[in-house]
Amino acid sequence: MIERNNVVVSGSPQGRTVVFVHGFGCDQSMWRDVTPAFEADHRVVLYDLTGMGQSDLSAYDVARYDRLDAHAEDLLAILTEIDAHNAVVVGHSVGATIAVLAANEVMTEGTGRIGELILVSPSPCFYTDEEAGYAGGFARRDLEDLVKMLEDNHLGWSMQLAPTIAGQSADEVQADRLTQSFCRTDPGIAQHFGRVTFLGDHRADFEHLAAPSLVLHCDADALVPMTVAEWMRDRVPGTRVHVLNATGHCPHMTVPADVVAAMRDHLGEV
Amino acid sequence: MPDAGGVDRREVLVQLIDDAPCGIVSTDPDGRIQYLNSTLRKWLGGSPEVELKRFPDFLTGAGQLFYETHMAPMMRLQGFIREISCALDRRDAEPLPVLLSGVVRRNEAGEPTRFDYTIFDASERHAYEEELRVARRNADELAAIIRSSPNAIVRVDAGGRIGSWNAGAERLTGQGLASVLNKPIQDVIRLDARSAWFDEAIRDYAGSGEVVFEAQSALGLDFEVTLTPINEYNPTQTSVNWSVVLRDITQRKRAERHLNVMVGEMKHRVNNTLAVVSGIARQSLPKEHTPRFIARLRALAQAHEALAQSGSSGAELRQVLEFSAQEAGGAERFAVHGPDIWLSPQQSASLSMAFHELVTNGLKYGALSVPEGRVDVTYEWEDAMTSQEADTARRLAITWVESGGPPVAQPTRQGFGTKMIGTVLAAELDAEVTFDYRSTGFRCEIVFAPLTPD
Repeated sequence: MIERNNVVVSGSPQGRTVVFVHGFGCDQSMWRDVTPAFEADHRVVLYDLTGMGQSDLSAYDVARYDRLDAHAEDLLAILTEIDAHNAVVVGHSVGATIAVLAANEVMTEGTGRIGELILVSPSPCFYTDEEAGYAGGFARRDLEDLVKMLEDNHLGWSMQLAPTIAGQSADEVQADRLTQSFCRTDPGIAQHFGRVTFLGDHRADFEHLAAPSLVLHCDADALVPMTVAEWMRDRVPGTRVHVLNATGHCPHMTVPADVVAAMRDHLGEV
Repeated sequence: MPDAGGVDRREVLVQLIDDAPCGIVSTDPDGRIQYLNSTLRKWLGGSPEVELKRFPDFLTGAGQLFYETHMAPMMRLQGFIREISCALDRRDAEPLPVLLSGVVRRNEAGEPTRFDYTIFDASERHAYEEELRVARRNADELAAIIRSSPNAIVRVDAGGRIGSWNAGAERLTGQGLASVLNKPIQDVIRLDARSAWFDEAIRDYAGSGEVVFEAQSALGLDFEVTLTPINEYNPTQTSVNWSVVLRDITQRKRAERHLNVMVGEMKHRVNNTLAVVSGIARQSLPKEHTPRFIARLRALAQAHEALAQSGSSGAELRQVLEFSAQEAGGAERFAVHGPDIWLSPQQSASLSMAFHELVTNGLKYGALSVPEGRVDVTYEWEDAMTSQEADTARRLAITWVESGGPPVAQPTRQGFGTKMIGTVLAAELDAEVTFDYRSTGFRCEIVFAPLTPD
């Protein structure tokens, strides 16, 4: 389990456990500007979702990972393995949804492994459901196009191109390619995980969230409109929505200091 | 600084960037556009409002998702992205497929200050790639069909040397492709102890269609072998390749052989039965009747034998009528005139049944019911062939004429015999049958197209 998901534990072994769950399209390295702030007084746990980053790609069973619950089960297995109690789970985007599913399961089982959640740019459902008056931000069509686009981006011919941008020599490109290790994704898995991530609807899971949570929402998030943040404020039990002044979908990368401050404030650790 | 030609060097550079054959866009680390060259403006449709916009806003919905979840994090983590395939969302036109590359510029402290992107029009590439994808999918599908076929499917060159072979061929021979590659197929798969079956089959090829034959392998398996030239467009290929398909028909051949044995056994039993009948006749009938009865029985047996022997390949029309003549009482009462006509097994069976009915009718009610009565059967080709008819098979007219019998009256209802003749011959031979109840004697005409002898 520890090896399969490339689990990396750092920080203070006596501190409270904080587990970081990355989102679609990347891996645990996207937390690199946030985690150092917690290492002095927390046990920091990073891992790659099965099928992503440096995880064991052969463990990605398409049938099993057809539901996000499988990733939630993986998270619970990691928490058990490292014997976490009352842990803080920090999830970004689809990682937040995985954290919600895991927390609900923990409450059912009564293991007490998860204490609370910090949800960074979460979205219970990316597409608009007009009947329910839910503005998810995208039409289903766009999301299906994305899945197709993931196929386009892994055909191989693009490798033949010479450097296409100023500021990089051909040698550099080669070097980059050899050392490139961020956000590595198998094309087939990326496509499948993209489908599961963006075409899933987890509003009911959010509405029955069984753990206290903090939602960090960017005021200019290109993927999650403010209406979704308002929906969570009104519908998710025991949550507090904190709006960050940030653009894009990854505040932990663009405004890491603000994210750290909001998290510490929420955890009463200012 | 003006150069020798008096043009500002800086101005030249700006111009080069502005009308570069690719789109160039520069943003702040949050994606807000700071510079956009005219090539990209043109692609986006005239002069879009770019101020205060973010670069991902000009991508399709899918592109925005990919930008936020993958491209932007990648830019920050590794400092560049390369050749991402996505599409520009244009105002008044279809989305434009593009390839996007980006690099991060940093300040002295290493903080990202600017994201620069170059964008290439990929519409042609995109269309080509789509074609490739469809072709690959189709090819995969066909390959799967061939892979899982129980038949041995082999590709050989004009000299019969094996180029590829499927799992069916592997199962059949127990040999993998590697061990048979470039070996002559007629050496690898021995058929009928013929060392040159492939060469012979190619020689038999008529220039179109396929060559099909049945043969037995050295291991005792029966095969139906089909050879077809592989017609494909390939300008570098000077000689034709062949597909060779071997279908295991061992079971069918076994059944056929079994059937042949059964037919032989049947003939034998019929002959035995006829022998037993003549034995009984000899013992039961008054002496003066016995020789005549035995003769008829023997004629019947002979006719039966003749038919049974030629059963698989067909029979002569005369031979079929010979049998009827025996039934009718001999050649003196039953005359046959006509050329040599070869019938298929089915035609001879149907006609002999029809003639049997006609003879029976004649014996019961017609000319054959009295000693002076007789039957004349004449058959000839229908001569008058128009050019239109020349395409269809030539037709034969058989005329059955009874004479010397009791006066004939038009029957009030159709008997079983005539009904059967009409139905069977129409259905099996596509024949036209006419009955003519003349007072001087019954007549019947059967017109049909016999098997053309080759």
